[in-house]
Amino acid sequence: MAGSGAILARKRRTLILLLAPLTLMLSVFFLIPLSIMVIYSFLEPGLYGGVEWNWYPYNYGRILGWPLNDFETFEVIYLKIFLNSAQIAVMTVIVTFLLSYPAAFWVSRMTGARKNMALFLITLPFFANMLVRIYAWLLLLRPTGFFNTILQSTGLIAEPLNLLFTNFSVIIGMVYILTPFMFLPIYASVEKLDYSLVRASQDLGANPIQTFRRVILPLTAPGIIGGSVIVFIPALGNFIVPAFLGGSKVQMTGNLIERSFLQSRDWPFGAALALLIMAFVVILVMFQISRQNRAAERGIA
Amino acid sequence: MLDKILNSRFWSWLFKGYGFVFLTFLYLPLGLIFVYSFNANSINMAVWTDFTFDWYLTIFGGANSQSEFDAAFTESPERIFEVVRNSAVVALCASTISTVIGTATAIALQRYNFAGKKFYQALLILPMIVPDIVLGIALLIFFVGAGFELSLLTIIIGHTTFLASYVFIVVSARLAGMDTTLEQASADLGAGPLTTFRRVTLPQIMPGVVGGFLLAFIISLDDVVITYFIAGVGSQTLPIFILAMMRRGLRPQINALAVLLLAFSFVVAAIGLYLRSRKT
Repeated sequence: MAGSGAILARKRRTLILLLAPLTLMLSVFFLIPLSIMVIYSFLEPGLYGGVEWNWYPYNYGRILGWPLNDFETFEVIYLKIFLNSAQIAVMTVIVTFLLSYPAAFWVSRMTGARKNMALFLITLPFFANMLVRIYAWLLLLRPTGFFNTILQSTGLIAEPLNLLFTNFSVIIGMVYILTPFMFLPIYASVEKLDYSLVRASQDLGANPIQTFRRVILPLTAPGIIGGSVIVFIPALGNFIVPAFLGGSKVQMTGNLIERSFLQSRDWPFGAALALLIMAFVVILVMFQISRQNRAAERGIA
Repeated sequence: MLDKILNSRFWSWLFKGYGFVFLTFLYLPLGLIFVYSFNANSINMAVWTDFTFDWYLTIFGGANSQSEFDAAFTESPERIFEVVRNSAVVALCASTISTVIGTATAIALQRYNFAGKKFYQALLILPMIVPDIVLGIALLIFFVGAGFELSLLTIIIGHTTFLASYVFIVVSARLAGMDTTLEQASADLGAGPLTTFRRVTLPQIMPGVVGGFLLAFIISLDDVVITYFIAGVGSQTLPIFILAMMRRGLRPQINALAVLLLAFSFVVAAIGLYLRSRKT
């Protein structure tokens, strides 16, 4: 009896030892910083950066219109920029989906070494530095860039086209960075697709379009939704892509946050903006988790 | 009918054609940097004039054939060496620490049952889904408030907070697919937990541990956003340095630097992907 007790105690000690480093690190350098950021968003900005420790919910009033005091005014531009960011993120999700979905079928129909090679080639650019990938699109799109030079030398256009500093160029940059995030989950669900169900639907008289809409699309939906969530989140908060491919013409919430921290030094306002993004992310992730749980329950029943 | 249609020659050609377009989309932009990095034309990179190694040589301290205009935009080899060294120190330290922490956590969650396991699983996912910019400013507020001086140390800490989760996922996958009877046999034969870990568990999960380490190394090496907020004046990493160069204008030297960084990342990633795909 005493022996098994000692073994249990030793197992407990090992477990505590194994979990201690992560627990310590994530509480001190992750949970506490995030909590402090939440507190900061309700504090008064100091005159020369920093904060005054007064209750000050008016940072949110500047963005949302309420609550306000005598010093802070509601400016609709912040909401507009936020909506524009959401719109760019949604467009990024749509375009990455349209690009990745057929590609997933293309790869899933291969076999053996060819398939591994294709997967390798599609995954590899994911490891290219984000800045370098954005830089590549600057070289392609700028007035003296690849596309304009080719179009001008063939005589199709006289003046260089304005390809940079538009929502279009920002979306292209985002799509280029985030395509692997969409491809991999979609590929996982396309790979699992049970073709006997596809055949059954045809035997029962469905035409190809019906089969696609009623069988293939629903069966691959988990991958599509999963991919959409993990593309939307980084696209919403990204500030590097709009900084280079959007210039001063296209502003996203990430740029506002960056500026309020590193230029105007209004930290509480930046923290409030960041929390707005976080709220969006939390809602999306909760939705995704509850959907997965429901799917798992149905799987068991 | 549908699979007959999809298997028809027309559709299989369509799929192949699309696959080609898809891969072109992924690689053309990167290939362009590669080609431009050998172009002697420093006025307009899109127009080819001559083949040159000069842009690479400027990185290592050779080549003085460039014009004064180019020289004004060219960083000294000493400065480049310094930021590359910073990047290497950060990536090595952060990925080593997060490999140890991530592996320990993976073993705890795979091999033990305890109250609060669900909480830990959620906690491990969190750093990966919090947007970079949010984590970056939260760490900035924390470090400044707690009186840390922004340095390589703060960057290492910042990277470790989210890299441990990546290592955890890779190692967990390996542990889940592992046969536990060997561990039991080792315990039955009288080996202590540490010996069993060193002689039985670790050799079996090694590809996962190395794969996790390499993944963490690449992500740390490439990180822009979080580093951007918590790097001090004297602690620039290579991506932050490239970012500053890009802000000043696009010059050919960036091409050469970008190609070297790409080549290095691709080699490390290829090793990692190979290790992960290899069966026991």
